[in-house]
Amino acid sequence: MKDEEKTHFGYREVEPDDKAGLVANVFHSVADRYDLMNDLMSGGIHRVWKRFTIEVSAVRPGHRVLDIAGGTGDLSSRFADLVGAEGEVVLADINDSMLRVGRDKLLDRGYHDNLRYVQANAENLPFPDNHFDVVSIAFGLRNVTDKERALGSMLRVLKPGGRLLVLEFSKPESELLSKAYDTYSFRILPVLGKLVAGDSDSYQYLAESIRMHPDQESLREMMESVGFTRCEFFNMTGGIVALHRGIKG
Amino acid sequence: MESINPTLHTGALAALELALNQALQLDKPGIRKLAQLQGQVFRLDCTGPQLDIYLLPDADRIRLMGFWDGEVTTSIRGSASDFAELARTDDAAAALINGNIELQGDSAPLMELQKIIAGLELDWEAPLVDSLGDVTGHQLAEALRGVFSWGQQASASISRQLEEFIHEEARLSPPRQELEDFYQDVEQLGQRVDRLQARIRKLAASVRQVAG
Repeated sequence: MKDEEKTHFGYREVEPDDKAGLVANVFHSVADRYDLMNDLMSGGIHRVWKRFTIEVSAVRPGHRVLDIAGGTGDLSSRFADLVGAEGEVVLADINDSMLRVGRDKLLDRGYHDNLRYVQANAENLPFPDNHFDVVSIAFGLRNVTDKERALGSMLRVLKPGGRLLVLEFSKPESELLSKAYDTYSFRILPVLGKLVAGDSDSYQYLAESIRMHPDQESLREMMESVGFTRCEFFNMTGGIVALHRGIKG
Repeated sequence: MESINPTLHTGALAALELALNQALQLDKPGIRKLAQLQGQVFRLDCTGPQLDIYLLPDADRIRLMGFWDGEVTTSIRGSASDFAELARTDDAAAALINGNIELQGDSAPLMELQKIIAGLELDWEAPLVDSLGDVTGHQLAEALRGVFSWGQQASASISRQLEEFIHEEARLSPPRQELEDFYQDVEQLGQRVDRLQARIRKLAASVRQVAG
């Protein structure tokens, strides 16, 4: 098989058909400790990143929202609060372990009326055209094998005027921060992963996959190329994370 | 491409919202009155320091946001000192008309909100100080008092008590003069850094010119 037909799994090049399975193993492995690890890795700042995402989402009562790679449901629960009884939130994740942990957590917190759970691949979303007011994908796009196809699928299920929000690790704005971040990601993060989730490889993958993910401008261009309009991004924490927003015209 | 730095702003507002709602939970009648304003959006546009806060009364709580993509019922704009000036008056309406604060949109809901919040028996200081630390918590509480124009007596009393506590009992913060000197030093340092940066840019341009 030719190189251009391969895809990245962290720094490794793998066959496209293998990537989903490899990513699945990572998340099966860390699902139970996912929330704890997020807090530890980011010092709790991931909550702030997600809160800002909610603000930019402009979700209103009665909206229908799709939270792709929704994992343990941080965004979905807030969306469910905002859409109210008239609206609906669909928490979708390709990984059944993550979906189970998320569903249990949200049920325990009393979320059930306006929240559904769907195991789905972002590249082939099993929903009708023009169906959602808002689609979000937080820390999920970099794990998708064919990102353009996934973005196209998200565009399809959005209503005209609906908005896509992509929250993802990105490229730090300053060189100094970038170096400190590299040290943290490749020296400290895998050790944390080993200690807390009992799995350093998964967190090594996390660090590598972040480096292989398109930077802010590239992702914005990719969103435009699949048909989103008014695409823009907001850098957070010095560009370590960026929130991209695009509108379906 | 975006000028706002959302992380700090959003984080501070999250803490403030938590503190505010903890305090609100102590006053159920106040919450019921607040629910009448559900659906209104108030924008507080602080020009110095540069800060936007959107305040959204809900059924049983207030949401604070740094970003709002939608219509605003009422917007007030001014510097922190303008808001502080507003805090020193008993008559918020007169202060808004005669002061430096610009008001856009419908003033009636804002007056209503001001009346409701001024009537609440809230202890803003304790939860703010708990979640943000003494100095920041106190400063934010001062700003909030400015915005909603608490009665002069309540404001002076709480300020005095907290200042006494911080300076004299807990010894958590240096006196105002020391702080002001420190802020001045920081500002001067900031200006020097700006000048140095400009000089470095100029030198770098000269080096590039010589090398090129």
